[in-house]
Amino acid sequence: MFDKLPQPMAAAVQPLLLLTLLVVVFALSAPAFLSFANLNNVLTASATVGLIALGATFVIASGNIDLSPGAVMALSAVVTANYAQHIDASPVGCVVVAGGIGLAVGLLNGWLISLTGAPSFIITLGTLSVARAIAYIASGGVPVYGLPDSALIVGQGALFGIHLPVLILMVCVVMSGFTLRFTRFGQHTLHMGDDAKAAQALGINLPRLRLQIFGLAGALAGLAGLIFMARTNSGDPSAGQSYELLGITAVILGGANLFGGKASVLSTFTGLLALAVLQNGLNLLAIETFYQVLFVGLVLILSAGLRRGELGSWR
Amino acid sequence: MALEVRDLRKRFGAVEVLRGVSASFDDGTVTAILGDNGAGKSTLLKTIYGIYPVENGTVRLGDLDISNLAIRERRRQGIEMVFQDLALTRQQSVVANLFMGREEVCRPFGVLRKKKMRAVALQALGKLGITIPSLERPVASLSGGQQQAIAIARALLDDPKVLLLDEPTAALAAGEVSKTLALIRSARQEGKVVVLVTHRLNDVFEVADRVIVMKHGSIFSDRAVTETSPAQVISEIVS
Repeated sequence: MFDKLPQPMAAAVQPLLLLTLLVVVFALSAPAFLSFANLNNVLTASATVGLIALGATFVIASGNIDLSPGAVMALSAVVTANYAQHIDASPVGCVVVAGGIGLAVGLLNGWLISLTGAPSFIITLGTLSVARAIAYIASGGVPVYGLPDSALIVGQGALFGIHLPVLILMVCVVMSGFTLRFTRFGQHTLHMGDDAKAAQALGINLPRLRLQIFGLAGALAGLAGLIFMARTNSGDPSAGQSYELLGITAVILGGANLFGGKASVLSTFTGLLALAVLQNGLNLLAIETFYQVLFVGLVLILSAGLRRGELGSWR
Repeated sequence: MALEVRDLRKRFGAVEVLRGVSASFDDGTVTAILGDNGAGKSTLLKTIYGIYPVENGTVRLGDLDISNLAIRERRRQGIEMVFQDLALTRQQSVVANLFMGREEVCRPFGVLRKKKMRAVALQALGKLGITIPSLERPVASLSGGQQQAIAIARALLDDPKVLLLDEPTAALAAGEVSKTLALIRSARQEGKVVVLVTHRLNDVFEVADRVIVMKHGSIFSDRAVTETSPAQVISEIVS
């Protein structure tokens, strides 16, 4: 039915239908839902998970899973908070440090996966624990509070009334969408996820590609940590718990193949919006958090059920 | 620009799969390699192409020793291979598969030159007489014969000097086999080195100039196709 649309648009149709349905339901049931302030807040709250979801799109497209971004977020937030307090609180300095921390952990993930030949799931499960532990050790187990104002701009500033985290997310969406669809790196990522053996046989350097993919995902998680730190005015070692799962959920809601070879940033973004709208709408309807988690799970299962076979199968 | 292997040895654990294989393959000739399962035919091809590193011995293309080059570099030097499993990424488009590993890009960001790749793909497929419904369709939506055609077209896309074919007709219907054999003849006419691993004796006697029989990782016999017969080849394989 949607075959004639360009590939990323066709892939985004189903999550778009889900998003539209959710928007209509909440617009009718919660009048405040469609206000600019609320939509700005929805996007701002989604920025951190959104950045993680963008990284997860590349990782899943390559046939891998990264469980470490939530912990990388926390590590990045703690280290950057300390850096801002004691060395340099300029926004550029904070971006470099936060992105650098994430990049370093991401490169470590990619290197370890290639070195050991172990599944990415296992290696990143390990780095999840290591990064989280280092975040707790570095902060002494308590959040780093009282950051200079300049370090908070990335999370609390605004341009033309739009919060900076939203603008950062949008820039990253456009750049990563372009990268996945229109560059050799993106095409190689999809080849690798589709059939790593074939990609290798055609001369694609998989260890180097793995480094680039996990490095990118790590850097985005580091940036998410900075935004989280700047929004909450603290370097919290417990930040980002389960965010990686929310990121993966957005990618899967977007219709990516969990086993690789098929993913689109536009679809992931649509999946992310669906997730954010669902949580925000339920908030506006004053539905308790426990039920929100339940609904997110149900929507994911329903979405997977409706696209049986498209998302990859173990059968 | 002949291809030459000297004293190639390959071991998988305790098993020695290639035991000092030496041979040269001339331009404009089709050399068929036959042998029982485990004789070392595919391993020889994959070692020449670079999937398996050369542990002992040398692979030369003309004057150039390519033994230590990575696959990407060997492809640049003009060695291409069609794999038994085709090595296609089936969720990706025909164009993406044709250019896998050697995409046309604008530097410095590696932006794909999609229009150019599409034009080159159309031209190449047209030249080979391959009809594909749409270049943008995922390869998975094509028939087995069409997928085979894509794999062969990919190998021929950059006008290679050496074409290594691992069971290229194994999964094809009769009509598709004859098309593939025609492509092999045409590659020979263009002066390419063609090395064909196959189990199908009919194919060998239709297109090959030379027949090598391998046994237990060594070359058992090496003759011009005019100096042997299907019966003799079979007896050498099973003896």
